[in-house]
Amino acid sequence: MVFSSIRERTIAENSMVVLLQGLQGEVTTVDLRNESTARGRVVSVDAFMNIRLADVLYQDRRGQLTRLQDLFVTGRNVRYVHIPDHVDIMKTIQNQLSKIHRVRNFASEGGGRKEFPKKTK
Amino acid sequence: MEERERKSVKSDSKETETAPCSSSASAPEQPKTDGKTGDDDALKTDICSDKFDPLLALYSPTAPPLPFPNIKCFNNVAEYESFLKGGRGRAKPENVEKKRRKAMKGVADPERIERLKNLMVKKPESEEGESSSGTTQRRRKKRPQKNVLTRMPLCKGSPLGELYRCVEERIRVKVHIRTFKGLRGVCSGFVVAFDKFWNMAMVDVDETYREPLFGEAFYHEKALTISRLFEKLNLQEGSGGDEPVKKQEAKEKSSKHQPADAKTTPKSCSAQPTSVKGDSRTAESKLPQEVKTTQGKQKVSMKAQGPQTYGKVHTRHINQLFIRGENVVLVNPQPL
Repeated sequence: MVFSSIRERTIAENSMVVLLQGLQGEVTTVDLRNESTARGRVVSVDAFMNIRLADVLYQDRRGQLTRLQDLFVTGRNVRYVHIPDHVDIMKTIQNQLSKIHRVRNFASEGGGRKEFPKKTK
Repeated sequence: MEERERKSVKSDSKETETAPCSSSASAPEQPKTDGKTGDDDALKTDICSDKFDPLLALYSPTAPPLPFPNIKCFNNVAEYESFLKGGRGRAKPENVEKKRRKAMKGVADPERIERLKNLMVKKPESEEGESSSGTTQRRRKKRPQKNVLTRMPLCKGSPLGELYRCVEERIRVKVHIRTFKGLRGVCSGFVVAFDKFWNMAMVDVDETYREPLFGEAFYHEKALTISRLFEKLNLQEGSGGDEPVKKQEAKEKSSKHQPADAKTTPKSCSAQPTSVKGDSRTAESKLPQEVKTTQGKQKVSMKAQGPQTYGKVHTRHINQLFIRGENVVLVNPQPL
């Protein structure tokens, strides 16, 4: 989970995108705005809900199936994201938030990055 | 020290003023007091003495002894005047203190450190070894953390607050989903989490939706949009063959208490005229044909019968669904 900027991190932290980011690595179906569906493994999701999928089965609205290695979906074109049954929504969100929290505190704590970790750590 | 400085300088200036007169007076005196020149010289160069001779002091090989070590020297009277008036850098007590503090700025003042340490609140260390480098940082961190989960209850008093109530009380809601123009369908389920964009995470979702129409059908559908939309939004009930009857029923009764009319609809569907696309009646037959039973509020969808291959209504069940808020038309909490 790498954010390009602090702005992105804050946007993600305050929206439900963190849930989708917690799904990275899972196989899910994304229903698009144009009534087509894409089923594949979530590689990454950014703060604007742009989704990158790998090894995708893309079914357009007519039902025609296509196999794709890589698919990038613009955030705006997402309608639904099917969450796998084994994923706990609340837990995933909390995990993601704690990751962000840790990263943010790491940067501000030591007065910047330090070569050697603090003794207390 | 300062006062003494001023006095000494004043006396200095006074004596410089009187210098011209005294030097002329002392010159004739000199040959007379040859014997006492040694003492006189000392006295003449002594600033504080009465017999101070400024000319002598100026041209003497050695500098006259200064009575005070840190005496302030001026180059001319004007300088002295401005000093007296309290020009820039005048050593007022507050200025002196300021200058001292500025000079000591970078240096760690042990007294200050002690003071700050006393103000520090003792907190248990977090996993990251959160030892603060100063009390000011600690105070900043006390600010409550704001993230998507904490923002959910904050919405109280607003429509989103109502949605939060549905989350808390686990109220089943119906979320209307939009297509590019108009209603696509309805998702009925429980909301687990949401955000300000109305992105929602839902569980136990029953989605009933209709494929969008295209071309002619869409064009003609548009003509009837208002009434059809009204119908859909309020009832999500298909008007199958018995259009006028169904419509009336739909408009009269509330959405929850529709009598099941499963049997009549398939019959009426098959009896319908088919194939004419522009026909308003066929267009209406593609309305979502859901019939609710009074017991369990379960929707049973009926596909439009006949050779129509577009605008079919579907129902599916999804255990966990994430909906992007952009596609949400409205959220309808279902009263228990």
